[in-house]
Amino acid sequence: MKLQVLGWSFRKTRLELRERLAFDEPARLHALAEIGARFDCEAAMLSTCNRVEVYVGRSADEPLPDGDVMTEFVAQRKGILVSDLAPGRYEHQQTDAMRHLFRVAAGLDSLVLGETQVTGQVRLAYELGQRAGSIGPLLHALFQHASVGAGRVRTETGIARGRVSIASVAIEYVRQVFAHFSDKTVLVIGAGKMGGLTLRHLGRLGLGRILVTNRSSEKARTVALSCGGESVPWDQLNDALSAADIVLSTTGASEPVVTEARYRAVRARRGSRTAVILDLAVPRDFDPAVHDGESTWLFNVDDLARVRERTLRDRQRHLGHAEAIIAEEQQRFLSDWLRRRNGPLIARLTEDFEAKRRAVLHQLLGRLNGRLTAADQATIEGAFRLLQNQFLHGPISALAEEMPEGGRHTLREALRRLFRLAE
Amino acid sequence: MSLGGATVLCFAGSYAIALALEAARLLGPRRPVMRALGHAFGAAGILAQMVYLAVHPPALASVRGSLLVLSLILAIFYLYGSIHHGRLAWGLFVLPLVLGLVALAELDPDRGADRGPWRAAAGALSGVHFWGAVHGTLLLLAAVGVCVGFIASLMYLFQAYRLKAKALPEEGLGLLSLERLEEMNRRALGWAFPLLTVGVGIGAILLGQHSDPLGGWTDPRVLGACVLWAVFAIVLYLRYGRRRIGARRVALLTIVAFGLLVFTLASTHTLAPGVSR
Repeated sequence: MKLQVLGWSFRKTRLELRERLAFDEPARLHALAEIGARFDCEAAMLSTCNRVEVYVGRSADEPLPDGDVMTEFVAQRKGILVSDLAPGRYEHQQTDAMRHLFRVAAGLDSLVLGETQVTGQVRLAYELGQRAGSIGPLLHALFQHASVGAGRVRTETGIARGRVSIASVAIEYVRQVFAHFSDKTVLVIGAGKMGGLTLRHLGRLGLGRILVTNRSSEKARTVALSCGGESVPWDQLNDALSAADIVLSTTGASEPVVTEARYRAVRARRGSRTAVILDLAVPRDFDPAVHDGESTWLFNVDDLARVRERTLRDRQRHLGHAEAIIAEEQQRFLSDWLRRRNGPLIARLTEDFEAKRRAVLHQLLGRLNGRLTAADQATIEGAFRLLQNQFLHGPISALAEEMPEGGRHTLREALRRLFRLAE
Repeated sequence: MSLGGATVLCFAGSYAIALALEAARLLGPRRPVMRALGHAFGAAGILAQMVYLAVHPPALASVRGSLLVLSLILAIFYLYGSIHHGRLAWGLFVLPLVLGLVALAELDPDRGADRGPWRAAAGALSGVHFWGAVHGTLLLLAAVGVCVGFIASLMYLFQAYRLKAKALPEEGLGLLSLERLEEMNRRALGWAFPLLTVGVGIGAILLGQHSDPLGGWTDPRVLGACVLWAVFAIVLYLRYGRRRIGARRVALLTIVAFGLLVFTLASTHTLAPGVSR
């Protein structure tokens, strides 16, 4: 078996280069088909916003195209200079390549530890390889086991628990306050990117009404149009705050837009109605005193980031257990692979010995015909069977113990290992 | 062992184990088998309690009777909620209440005064006994509403406290949203109040019309029920009247109402002078 992975990831390759390296689905299908045809090997390609990786393999112990050849292949397809790709490139062989795939699939090598999206992307890489016809028995077995390992890591450890994106943490807070959203009004203040992302998340909950306000009425109209909301003049901010149940604030103001005094007037108009304010601006748009823990719940970027950091710290605690599961699944794959590869060979070896044993026995018993009792015949047959088993034990055990790296041995070394002969 | 051998310890023990399993889910790794075991013990407790109440039917009007029946209804409420909201810490809030009511029932000094089988009792339902049973049943159902409101209020206050501190729910201590909890409280009080009103009304009529062995309007249970009704009316007015108070204050008042309920249920009816038991 030969296995290799070549890749570029967020660890050493900057975003601009990763963006140029990214392969969409049609490009991947073509690339995989070409790798299979040109290099006569199995291939799979993983392409996400954080990494591009090419896996190549062969069931037989024949060399694979080396890292430089594959780098040149990728560079040619993407119109990038090889010299640009070389510094950030990483390469793994054999068991290291296996371990790398298992860790990537389980989210242990991700920008955010334990993220689960990458498992689906690894599955997509496998499916595209199937469609391109570049997945053979080795990569098929490898990706299946990687998927199982990722599933085990997710369910048996806490490494995927909790929220890590600011937007998802914000939504989680909103869901702790409100259960229904179709009757809720959201007010978006400002036009910041984080606000747009959070609004998209909120939109999936089925919001009733969206109001957008901005110092620039033009920007307010643009944002309102993009999210199906209504723009509200900036001077009507208090009215909008009175009407809103959820507020997303992402202005670029250098001082709070809504002070405690201003919000007191708003609160008097709101009565006891509950409001959730997500202040995603830096510096903050809302005076922290607005958060009263009774009817107004204010969460700013610091609060959301704190939860995120705590979640990531909690995930780190599960890393050891996750790595142990990866090691188990890797071992399981190796045992499974060796059994599949060696099984037919062992069966042929056994059949061959069996045939020879029967032939010699038949000849011997024929010559001794009439001079042996049934019990004597049974004893002789048993002795030949025992001899056969003892002859075969050495080679079969040696095959089972062989490392997947294989390697070339001299005939002398092979005989010594097969029959457990001392040096 | 025949089912008729079910004792208080059987069902209380089952509920206690279900509570322990619920707490263990909070502290250790989540395992579906623990949740299933908790449900199994909860169901076993409910079955044992139903058998116990069928074999040793207590008088609804007695402290023990009302508390045991109330705890059974809440145990069923626990099982339903725990299955329906699998990821929430439902049992951690409901089961202690169930166990508390069972314990209170066992502390009743008149716990030996159980009546005979239900069949014999049903034949005696007529006249004042019938209306007395209606009065008791309505108050019991209202008590269920107050208990549900109490549980919702406790959860609300706990959730509000966590959100005020800006903590996210930890695994195993998931709770419903504030809005859902406020709805639950509102609905519970909403249907408990009319039941309580009619129940107290029937009780007042019975008290006025019959030479009851009760000690009149100063009877602790009578007083407790009236004060409970008044608190209810105030809560509903404050929540839905012109000057509405927030859900947090409604939750606090609901807890006060629950305290009054416990006092009412735990009080025995005193007898008029000269009347012996």
